[in-house]
Amino acid sequence: MEKKSFKARYNEEDRYYDNKGYSSVDYNYTGPFLPDVNKMAAPMICVPGQRLCPDNEKVTAGRGTYSRNGFVYSSLAGYLQTAHSEDGKNIIEVIRDGDENVVPSVDAIVTARITNVSPRFCKCSIIKVGKTDLKDSFRGMIRREDVRATEKDKVEMAKSFRPGDIVMARVISLGDSQSYLLSTAENELGVVIATSEAGVTMVPVSWCKMKCPKTRLEEHRKVAKVQARFIEYSGSGP
Amino acid sequence: MPADSRRINGPEKSISPYAFSKPCKDIKITEPSLQRKDGRNPDNIRPIFLKTGLITQAQGSAYIEQDGTKVICSVYGPRAVIRKEEFSMQGQLTCDFKFTTFSCHNRRQYQQDAEEKDFSVQLLEALEPAVLLHKFPKAQVNIMVTVLQNDGSVLAASVTCASVALADAGIEMYDLVIGSSARISGATILMDPCATEEYSDKDSAHVNNGSVTVGLMPSLNQISAVTSKGELEFEHLNKAMKHCVSMCVDLYPVCQQALAVAMETRINADPKT
Amino acid sequence: MAEIHLSDAEKTFIIHGVQDNLREDGRGCEDYRHLEIETGLVSNTSGSAKIRLANTEILVGVKAELGEPYPEKPDKGRLEFFVDCSANATPEFEGRGGEELATELSSMLARAYQCPSCLDLRKLSVVEGKQCWIIYVDVLVLEYGGNLFDAASIAVKAALFNTSIPTLTVSHDEGHVEIDLSDDPYDVQRIEVTAAPCIVTLSKLGHSHVVDASSKEEACCLARLMLGVTEKGTVTAMKKEGSGSLDTSSVEDMLQTGRRVGQALNKSLMEVLMSDDKVGKKQHLTGFLR
Repeated sequence: MEKKSFKARYNEEDRYYDNKGYSSVDYNYTGPFLPDVNKMAAPMICVPGQRLCPDNEKVTAGRGTYSRNGFVYSSLAGYLQTAHSEDGKNIIEVIRDGDENVVPSVDAIVTARITNVSPRFCKCSIIKVGKTDLKDSFRGMIRREDVRATEKDKVEMAKSFRPGDIVMARVISLGDSQSYLLSTAENELGVVIATSEAGVTMVPVSWCKMKCPKTRLEEHRKVAKVQARFIEYSGSGP
Repeated sequence: MPADSRRINGPEKSISPYAFSKPCKDIKITEPSLQRKDGRNPDNIRPIFLKTGLITQAQGSAYIEQDGTKVICSVYGPRAVIRKEEFSMQGQLTCDFKFTTFSCHNRRQYQQDAEEKDFSVQLLEALEPAVLLHKFPKAQVNIMVTVLQNDGSVLAASVTCASVALADAGIEMYDLVIGSSARISGATILMDPCATEEYSDKDSAHVNNGSVTVGLMPSLNQISAVTSKGELEFEHLNKAMKHCVSMCVDLYPVCQQALAVAMETRINADPKT
Repeated sequence: MAEIHLSDAEKTFIIHGVQDNLREDGRGCEDYRHLEIETGLVSNTSGSAKIRLANTEILVGVKAELGEPYPEKPDKGRLEFFVDCSANATPEFEGRGGEELATELSSMLARAYQCPSCLDLRKLSVVEGKQCWIIYVDVLVLEYGGNLFDAASIAVKAALFNTSIPTLTVSHDEGHVEIDLSDDPYDVQRIEVTAAPCIVTLSKLGHSHVVDASSKEEACCLARLMLGVTEKGTVTAMKKEGSGSLDTSSVEDMLQTGRRVGQALNKSLMEVLMSDDKVGKKQHLTGFLR
């Protein structure tokens, strides 16, 4: 088939692309975008399907990329980032800053709000995965046996969580089609923010109790011992 | 056609006055050098306007204009599955295609009709191969497509628009899917037909009268959607498909550029980077 | 039909076999399974047909009724397709489960029959703009064992072949139009279906493709190409289905195979229908779901 005289033109003012003029912008993305992995330049924009570099033993396809037919391609619209891994390989990643689409995955630390407490389990809505805020919440569930690591059979759900509490938990399974299964059976996991009956944010006094600064009443909770690495990770402390 | 009881519907049966006017004559292009009604050559496509991120509520969105054909697409998710469905380790993609009631020559209903349902399925099957569904197990991504104005090649425009919206939403994809369509009339192949040039079964009974729409992932050279209408001989069909594929390849940099521009503004607006 | 679960090794076995033109049931890549067609078996219809393709059984009933033509096509009759995937066929169709497949099938059939050359709807017009024949084609899936589209299209073609419409005489009398129905039950018209298409589904398996995929083969296939092929070898409708994509060059190969297989299929179908028609109504009907 003969080659048509199609040329795209990109006009800065009105953003119209027409096929009448000649090319004023070089669209040859595969060429100029081939990254020089040794040089860190200004952020380079990538779009899905864009060929980044040959896939050989020197590079690893990281987040936002995939390798196929001997090349590493971008799978995200974002900008390119390269890093060196411990074994001397170049990790190629495509990043969208603060705008990643995350879904809860097994072993991820999530932040959730308790919505419903029953004797056998409590339900919650996951509002944060790692340090990324979710646009839409996912449903989660903490079963009685996953509240703490020891004396599992003596757990009382009402003494562990109350509706409205903010908890940090680990995803232990994708669960069923309805909700993710979460666990707080670690010292660092559990309630991080809770409000007393008087409506004041409480302060933790032990691993199972929190105190209201206004009424001095103590309430039972499965309190998280928030550690520095988690504060950094989640961006929120008690 | 089931009526929507929550709306004030028009009279139960009404007919557009154009139904009684004389039908348009068959397009009369026999020589490839001849010009079309809007001054294009058979090979030429209409100018394209493509912009992303217009709908602030959506995770990603795109708007495409191919002269008279205007399509909006917004993408929501990945989010929790609303309906009770079976558990799947793969993410789900849903697609909702709708013509606005005033977008076509004849008025359309508010509820999805058979053609719109058919388009939804075709759009879904065009985009599914391109999306890395395993990246969001158990969750779903919803794609909503609204046609504001229909001036031909709607499905092709919707495929392009939806794939750009998906990329804008940050959904991981193997490649963009670019749609293109062609009208076959005898030996002539008209690229990117407008509404008057589109195939309808009212046309004469000649063989080789029909249309083809192709969805292509250019960088992987994979066809993710192909659909045809009308009786076509194999050779003509094949030739038209090849034309469509090369049109997709031509359009690819335009879509890449539109996305890149959107990303650039996003990065510049974000002081973090 | 229970859901098919195949291990990777089983899938590889099937795909490698297909590459050597040998399928797990001994067929070649372009062979159909044994096909049984029976026409004229439901007495209250204008025409009917039943098809059995391996474990798929489909019954098609055609009813012709008088009605108004579409205002935008006043000189043409109407052809309407309805598909019912009843929960009898497979438990997956229970509730609304079969609805999606049914709309997909009916829209594909409607698209394949849309071209004026394969079925002349003008012959179904009675009084232009006022009265026409509406041919209701109802497809009932009795048993679902894969390759539904091909089987349904063959059954539809056979049922339309079997359809007889009473002859009408139209007389114009001082501005009034009178339609007379012939008293003779044998005074009927047939529908010309020689040019009608059959749908051929090509399933991509590995680097090759097969027609009439068995349910095991369907389980390891990600992309299918459906073609409405006529006796002349023209394509009246084309559609890609499934979550996979196809290489540009393989689409061309699949088209070529589809045309070849479709032509042969149409030819042998018409031969069978014609010879069946000559013999006349067979006395012993074989019954459903054997």
